[in-house]
Amino acid sequence: MSKYDSKYLEDKLKKELQTEYVSVTDESDGCGGKFSAIIVTPAFNGKTLLQKHRLVNSTLAEELKEIHAFSQKSYTPEEWEKVKAQ
Amino acid sequence: MSVVNVTAADEYQKYINGEKTTVALFAAEWAEQCGQVKDALEELSKITGEKLQFISLNAEQFPEISMKHQIEAVPTVIFFAKGSAVDRVDGVDVAAISSKTKKLAESASSAAATGQTLEDRLKALINTAPLMIFMKGDRNGPRCGFSKQLIGIVNNTNLPYETFDILSDEEVRQGLKTFSDWPTYPQVYVKGELIGGLDIIKELLANNELEATLKG
Repeated sequence: MSKYDSKYLEDKLKKELQTEYVSVTDESDGCGGKFSAIIVTPAFNGKTLLQKHRLVNSTLAEELKEIHAFSQKSYTPEEWEKVKAQ
Repeated sequence: MSVVNVTAADEYQKYINGEKTTVALFAAEWAEQCGQVKDALEELSKITGEKLQFISLNAEQFPEISMKHQIEAVPTVIFFAKGSAVDRVDGVDVAAISSKTKKLAESASSAAATGQTLEDRLKALINTAPLMIFMKGDRNGPRCGFSKQLIGIVNNTNLPYETFDILSDEEVRQGLKTFSDWPTYPQVYVKGELIGGLDIIKELLANNELEATLKG
């Protein structure tokens, strides 16, 4: 169990990372232990894959202590356009 | 000190598990290049004196040992500290062998005074193999869904790798998170550099960059 829900995580990512698009899905049937996220922000521009993930991990450092499983797909706006086109 | 020719498995075990860091040459008689490396090791053994020990063994006489360390070509040099492989050089790269040997000789003299720190240990662990995976369980019995998926993807590349079971060592489990600034497992390292976790490996796979990245 964790006290976080999708909405909380989306709001936090939106605020801290100025996301253009963010979608967090609770995959734990509401118990808050497992989430997956798609995060799109210009803050990722010029960053390597590792750096993008690090940025998200550090933004959610407190939350990730309680969330058992968190997977992310983190894109720059440009990459996101390509992903959507596929 | 000079290079000792090891001909028995128990003799080999005694060396690599000893107090001193061991430089082990896996060679074959038919490969001329092995002679070059052996000569280089002889020279290095004179320079480093008593700090390290040097052994040479015929890889084909010890198929189990060679298999365990994924010796795919001779010569291969593996560095052992207290029984674990901490570094290796595949092929005739005398410059790399020489610099790694000297570095280990230096740390041997400082470690003798201070004892090995956790940081040293973690550095050695992430360099155990060119492709190193820290996970829950091992490749035959992954103990979490993410580790299992990761092993499946990496197995498909057919690249050799080593794993470390973080459930077996709490000090490493917590220490490596801080050391690498990465909060979760599994973690994938190539030549000692963190590549990332499962999400990153999947992303690399989707972009057709996985194999190149894992080869380093």
